[in-house]
Amino acid sequence: MEAFIQPGFWIFVLALAGIYGIFSLGLQIQYGVGGIMNFGHVGMMAVSGYTIAVLVIKYEWSFWWAALAGVILAAFLGALLGLTTLRLSGDYFAIASIAFAEIVRYWILNTDNVTGGTQGTLAIPSPNGFSSYTDKPDVILTWISDRLYPLIGDEASRDLSMVLVVWPFFGLFIWLSSRLQKTSWARVLRATREDDDVPRSLGKNVFRFRLQTLIIGSVFGGLAGVFWSVQFALLAPEDFLRIVTFYGWMILILAGATRVKGLFVAAIFFGFLYGATRFLEFWPLSLLSSPERAYLRVFLIGLVIVLLMVKRPQGLFGKRQEMILE
Amino acid sequence: MSDFIQYFFNGLVVGCIFAIAAVGISLLYSVLRLVNFAAGDFLTLGAFITYFLSVTLELNFFLSIIVSMLAGMGISWFLELVLWRNLRRNKAGTLALFLVATGVALMLRPIIQFVFGTETRKFNIDILKTYDFFGARIPQTQLLVLIFASASILTIALFIAKARIGKDMRAYANNPGLASVSGINVDRVVLATWLISGALGSLAGVFQGLVQGQFNNAMGESLLLSFFAAVVLGTIGDAYGALAGGLLLGLIMELSQLSIFFGGVPSNYKPVVAFATLVLVLLFKPEGIFGYRARKV
Repeated sequence: MEAFIQPGFWIFVLALAGIYGIFSLGLQIQYGVGGIMNFGHVGMMAVSGYTIAVLVIKYEWSFWWAALAGVILAAFLGALLGLTTLRLSGDYFAIASIAFAEIVRYWILNTDNVTGGTQGTLAIPSPNGFSSYTDKPDVILTWISDRLYPLIGDEASRDLSMVLVVWPFFGLFIWLSSRLQKTSWARVLRATREDDDVPRSLGKNVFRFRLQTLIIGSVFGGLAGVFWSVQFALLAPEDFLRIVTFYGWMILILAGATRVKGLFVAAIFFGFLYGATRFLEFWPLSLLSSPERAYLRVFLIGLVIVLLMVKRPQGLFGKRQEMILE
Repeated sequence: MSDFIQYFFNGLVVGCIFAIAAVGISLLYSVLRLVNFAAGDFLTLGAFITYFLSVTLELNFFLSIIVSMLAGMGISWFLELVLWRNLRRNKAGTLALFLVATGVALMLRPIIQFVFGTETRKFNIDILKTYDFFGARIPQTQLLVLIFASASILTIALFIAKARIGKDMRAYANNPGLASVSGINVDRVVLATWLISGALGSLAGVFQGLVQGQFNNAMGESLLLSFFAAVVLGTIGDAYGALAGGLLLGLIMELSQLSIFFGGVPSNYKPVVAFATLVLVLLFKPEGIFGYRARKV
């Protein structure tokens, strides 16, 4: 039970919640506004994280330029995915998007001399033999924890600094996105979500609106990748399995697909689920080994998704009518 | 030439397995409009149950396969009763069906891991014994799989074409409204579809386990997208198309390794060939090889 009352546990939960909250916000814009079912969202996070690692380690770029490049590349890939497959109807696009993310992961897995292959970013060939890419953001994180140390002592950890960096961004992105969703642009999109023909008859280019949504969502996927890569300071192909996209979907449907602000609560719930199955040490969890805990986590996420869709498809905060009109 | 025979034979074997798995997915889609993301894990489950019965309990191999097919049917039946029936009643949309199927997959996988462990398994069949065939080396297991899988495919095709419930299924898939007013029992059709897909999932899992020689609990999941590729290639929702699409995809994946194609695709990129086929078909012929634009899929 002790881990429950340890601040370190909750700080980790919050850091994770912030990162996956931003990730899920991308899906929220795509599905909640545009009705696009993107099941390959993890590809954007993988691309931006790996772009940063490769550019910094192999080509000695500054972290900030690399992060910018990562987000731009994620947006570019969103555009590529959209231009090729977004004209397909819903279920076809969903399948195509999964295939897209899997191609990204296989490419990462099998180009050892660029991405480090199965061994992750530690194995990226580096001109100076140095395979870390987080020193620039680490300066900021250390600066924050140095300022906090006199106030709270040993609780001033890297995770806490990370929370203090990620959450303002998370808040800002949610605010931006809820502003965005009140514009006429979003109203057109909501109309396309329900029915293509009405906005088309008003002279709106439905495909272009959808494509824009997909790209904006991919930017948030890319931004999540930036924070993810700083938080964990090491990337490996198995961090970007198909299931990560469904972490995002779980957060989204828990919040309610059209409720942006619900993402705060839902993301913290996800962070708790993830952190609890990883760190909590009381019975019966203490009986499990760490790989078994990983299965338990996957099981619980599956269970939450199934229960939500059966019992409360509109999520904690959603309107039932909006969910049913797909 | 011997290379060609080798890859062609491998392609046939893999293709038969794809066909069996794909027809289950395609039937479910045509009857329920459900893309079954859990299909891959049903393969894993079938292979592990068969392993447990035939190796751990030392039962007869064929008996073990039949029991594991019954188990696949049982689990599908259970899920239909507690889950899918309710979702249909609530008029769940595409996203809900997608996510619930994924949720089922996410729950099934850890259960398999808990019950059967994560170790690599192999069946009690000599995987090293091979036959020589025009310079190509054909393992005994592959030959067995090819014989039994093609027999299964013929049975499935005949069943869908001739059996009463097979006809009902096609009628319902074509026009649910018309089918239910003309006296077809919808719940029975849906249940039969689930039972067939459950049984075929287990069967394909055993075949895949045999062909791989050894397998672990990630086996089915990693094949899922290849099955989707087969389904889309053969026109989504068309059972015969799925059979043909599976065979074709198996051949494409294996023959792509022939050196005449850009020096041959490396074998670790084989899944990418399947994904690329999927994306290309979706791009240029989303109605599949047997579909017409006019036909609503």
